[in-house]
Amino acid sequence: MLLGLAFGLMLGMALLFVRLARGPTIYDRALAANSLSTKVVLLIAVVSFVQQRPQWLDVALVYALIGFVSVIAVVKFLRYRAMHAPMTRPPGGAHAEIVDLESGQ
Amino acid sequence: MNEASDIWTNARDVVAAILLFTGLAFTLIGSIGVIRFPDFYTRLHAAGVTDTGGALLILFGLAALAGWSFAALKLLLIGLLLMVTTPVATHLLAQAAHAGGREPLIGRSPVKPKRPKKSGPAAP
Amino acid sequence: MTSFDPSLAISAALLVLMIAAALAVVRTTNLFAVAILSAVYSLLCAVWFVVMDAIDVAFTEAAVGAGISTVLYLGALVHTGDRARRLGFMRLLGGAAAALLFGLAFILLVPFTPVFGDPQSPANTQVGLEYVHSTPVDIAVPNVVTAVLASYRGLDTFGEAAVIFTAGIAVVAILPRHRRRKKDAEDAA
Repeated sequence: MLLGLAFGLMLGMALLFVRLARGPTIYDRALAANSLSTKVVLLIAVVSFVQQRPQWLDVALVYALIGFVSVIAVVKFLRYRAMHAPMTRPPGGAHAEIVDLESGQ
Repeated sequence: MNEASDIWTNARDVVAAILLFTGLAFTLIGSIGVIRFPDFYTRLHAAGVTDTGGALLILFGLAALAGWSFAALKLLLIGLLLMVTTPVATHLLAQAAHAGGREPLIGRSPVKPKRPKKSGPAAP
Repeated sequence: MTSFDPSLAISAALLVLMIAAALAVVRTTNLFAVAILSAVYSLLCAVWFVVMDAIDVAFTEAAVGAGISTVLYLGALVHTGDRARRLGFMRLLGGAAAALLFGLAFILLVPFTPVFGDPQSPANTQVGLEYVHSTPVDIAVPNVVTAVLASYRGLDTFGEAAVIFTAGIAVVAILPRHRRRKKDAEDAA
């Protein structure tokens, strides 16, 4: 049962990967990556039960934290294209700079 | 005593199985939604809701499987963390997309993303 | 028919996903997408390390690959463009030839390495065996690598952690802090 759950999660990861590789806009890619990192946490938790290794849950905990930090970095980049900008309002208007980031492919 | 503990074990397994399969179904449906839905906000809806709900269901199912132990405590901790971080990440992504000038797809015709009125010089 | 090994099956599925991620990195020209894809690649790689029971490597891979290097890539993308030029055919051919050559070299080297878990290999007969024997007695930690890193040479690891922490503080101190403009401060007030 648990092994089936692990493969189901990996199927979900593969589906998300389609959106990650294709995603028309960068927001789609960021969304897919975020969702994928959540599934990675779940996968490690499930695999720790499959393999009877409860200490792997610590790894899952750390991955949850790292994934969140990465998402915040990506979102900050998306919004301001600068890592050390304040979260309130970027100088010179938020909209003009970010629009040309969207890939048209 | 022995029979009672057997009943409890079986009940726990059944509960765990139900939780795990519901969670897996949520997760897979969300993943399919991320592929199938037409624009970013709907995809965000599919991913965000199922990420929180499905992940919590799976983690609770695993905790039920583990019983009263340290592993269950860790699983609940992970669940608590995901319950806090996933909606925040979803919100941040939606905020970034909105600030980036993406308009939601309303109605049936694909609307081109419009520039917000307050923005400076329009980008090429 | 040998018995079904769950860890092998999970590893195989993860490797398929990793190859897909690597191919996507090669194909994509949007550098932001490449940064995200490589983060996902190292996340998958880290899961694979966990499945192979190398938790310490997995921690490092996740922290460095998915965390820090993504932030560094994004920080570099702030200063450069986010579009890559498509490479010419000859350069693609050269890269493919180099990759194939290295892959072939590694494959040729594999038969000279000891079998996974071989009790006669040098790693398992010399000082390593001592640690394997004394760890359950000295420290009740199931993972020998963790016991060595955190206890036998704990002071060393502590020193390394202190160095890395100092380096982090230095980076934070050197980075220019964004000054709020007066207008922003007024807006916020």
